[in-house]
Parts: sequence; C-alpha cells; structure tokens
Amino acid sequence: MAKVIAEMLIDAATMELPDTKTLKLKWPEGYDVEFKTGQFITFYWPDTPTYKRAYSLSSCALDRGFYEVTVKREGKMGTRVVDWAKVGDKIGVLPPAGKFLPVLEPNRHLICIAGGSGVTPFRGFVREATRRKLDTKITILYSVRTTNDIIFQREFLDFAAENKNFTFLVTCTRLIPEDPWTGHRGRITADWVREQVHDLPNTVFYACGPNPLVEATEKLVLEELKVPKGQMKVEKWG
Amino acid sequence: MSSQVPSDLKYSKSHEWVRFSGDIATIGITDHAQHELTDIVFVELPAVGRQVKAADACAVVESVKTASDIYSPVSGEITEVNKAVVDDPALVNAEPYAGGWFYKIKLGDAAELNSLLTPEDYKAQIGA
Repeated sequence: MAKVIAEMLIDAATMELPDTKTLKLKWPEGYDVEFKTGQFITFYWPDTPTYKRAYSLSSCALDRGFYEVTVKREGKMGTRVVDWAKVGDKIGVLPPAGKFLPVLEPNRHLICIAGGSGVTPFRGFVREATRRKLDTKITILYSVRTTNDIIFQREFLDFAAENKNFTFLVTCTRLIPEDPWTGHRGRITADWVREQVHDLPNTVFYACGPNPLVEATEKLVLEELKVPKGQMKVEKWG
Repeated sequence: MSSQVPSDLKYSKSHEWVRFSGDIATIGITDHAQHELTDIVFVELPAVGRQVKAADACAVVESVKTASDIYSPVSGEITEVNKAVVDDPALVNAEPYAGGWFYKIKLGDAAELNSLLTPEDYKAQIGA
C-alpha cells in the first residue's frame, strides 16, 4: 500500500499537564486509513518537512476521523507543540505504524507498565477495551515522579469506574515523605508486578516509557518473573 | 546487532566518545547511542569559544523517538563544531565515529582523562 502522507488540521489542543498537550488531528476529506490501537504516527510541521518526530497514538482504532497524540515538552518538536500548537494549525502526518498492539482477547490479562509520557498508548488500549465492553483484563502500573505528573488521571479513573476489568495503579518515585499520597511509592518492583498476576500463561506484559524504565522492566519481567519473551512487548522512548 | 566500540577511543558513561590528539579532544556519540536513539533528525551544538565543564549538558540530539542532552566528557574550551551534522543529522547514524563527530575541545584538565572509560569498560557497560 502506498504511503499516504496527509496534511491535517489541529481540531483541538488540550493541556493535560503544564508540560503535556494532546492534539486532536482531523483527517482530511477522503482520508481513510486502516490502523491499529497502539500504533504511532510520525508528523512534521509544513515549514520543516525534513524534521519529523514519532508519537504513539493516545486515541484508539475505533476513533475514525481523527488521531490524538499526547506530547511532552521535550526537544524542539515537543516545545513547539506544547508552547505553540493551536487549533487551526496544519501538521503533516505519515500513516500509523508499529507493533505495540494490545492482545484484546477474552481471558487475557494485559499488564501495562508505563513511565511518564509512556502511558499515552495505554489510553488507547483502555479506551478500545472499554468501548467494546471486552472481558480482557487490563492493569496499568504507572510510574511518575509526583502526583502532579499523572497524565490522564481523571480519564483513567473514569474508565476504571466504568470497566470492572480495568485497574489503574500509580507509583510516585519522588514524593516528599510528608506528602499525603496514600498510594504506592518508589520504583516498580518485581513484587508489585507479581501481585497483579493471577494467570501467568494468559498474561501479556507491555512496557512503554524512557529507555532505562523499559530496560529495567524487561529485566524484571523476563528474568525475575521468568516470563517467556513472547509474552512481552516493549516500546522504547514511548 | 552488536555495537562498534573502537579500541583507540575513550568513553563516558553517558555514551559519548573522545578521541585525543595532543591537547585537543574530539567528541561524538557512540554507535550504541545512535542505535538506541534511532533516526536522528536534529542536532544542536555549542558555540565555539564556550567554556564547558565535564558533565555539562552542551549539545542536544533529537531522534524521531526522543530528545537527549549530550554531556561533555571533559572540561575545556570549544574550538570547533561539526556543522555537517547540523545540516545532515543522519550523519550521526551513518558515521558515528567519523563524519558524525560533534565538537572539538581544548582540554582544560588532563587529570579528567583518568575518569573516562576504556573500550573494555564501555563494552561491559553496554553488554557488547
């Protein structure tokens, strides 16, 4: 299939956190691309077509007519998107690609481990599973520095209220001891992951985020929990 | 795929390489680093004449997947930068140890050389 590069209008620009913005990119007339939840798109500003960045979709494959990406203020692209991107701007978009796909099958349990903005593709996973009312269990284990860094907190809590098969758990790594947070603290550990596993052969592990977190998670899952490699999917720098 | 770690260079823990020629050091990022970053799309280099200290963030490299600071492995004065990588960032992927170098620096403290990693140390760090 020929690559379809399209110019899309920013239809909405929503600040999720002071340094994180979600762009809703409206498909142009006649654009009709097949894609899967968990894939990423590569985009560029029309005035700098050779400078491209790839971002995971934070929307899902049931969302037709638009893509959503959630961008952290990092690097030249992240800064331009967070500080300057506004409704009505045009962005060049390459079609979705990637194999970081949710196995949305009955009896499966997806344990999704995220760090920072690495949580964005998991919003698509949960959105699709919830809308389709699937039996697939999804657990997000989300590592952030402080409670101010939780992206999509309200949405994930709403999904958890609506979808009994979805669990949203956060650990904060840099809270001061006096902080009133009653949830988990510290890095993601093998014990914490093990507590979530109820049927190992039917569990699929996902990790997305900064490379050090993804690599540590791979080690933890494959070596400490002795999970076969085929049951783990990772997305570095996600 | 295993990464190249030339035996005639020194390395930093943060994946920069250093080639010495008299009191001038040439700095770039390693083959392992460029593999991890994936396709590099933007490089920002320090100004010539700038004084930097070891471990200072003095350049930025951005790939399709992420943005990353480059830390100077040694202290000194920047004497030359490689404009070719600014014009064609993909050079860093294609030739990390040759045409993809970042900058040259006049060494300020020869004692710092002892704190750099040998090729064997660096190989051990990246599991090569």
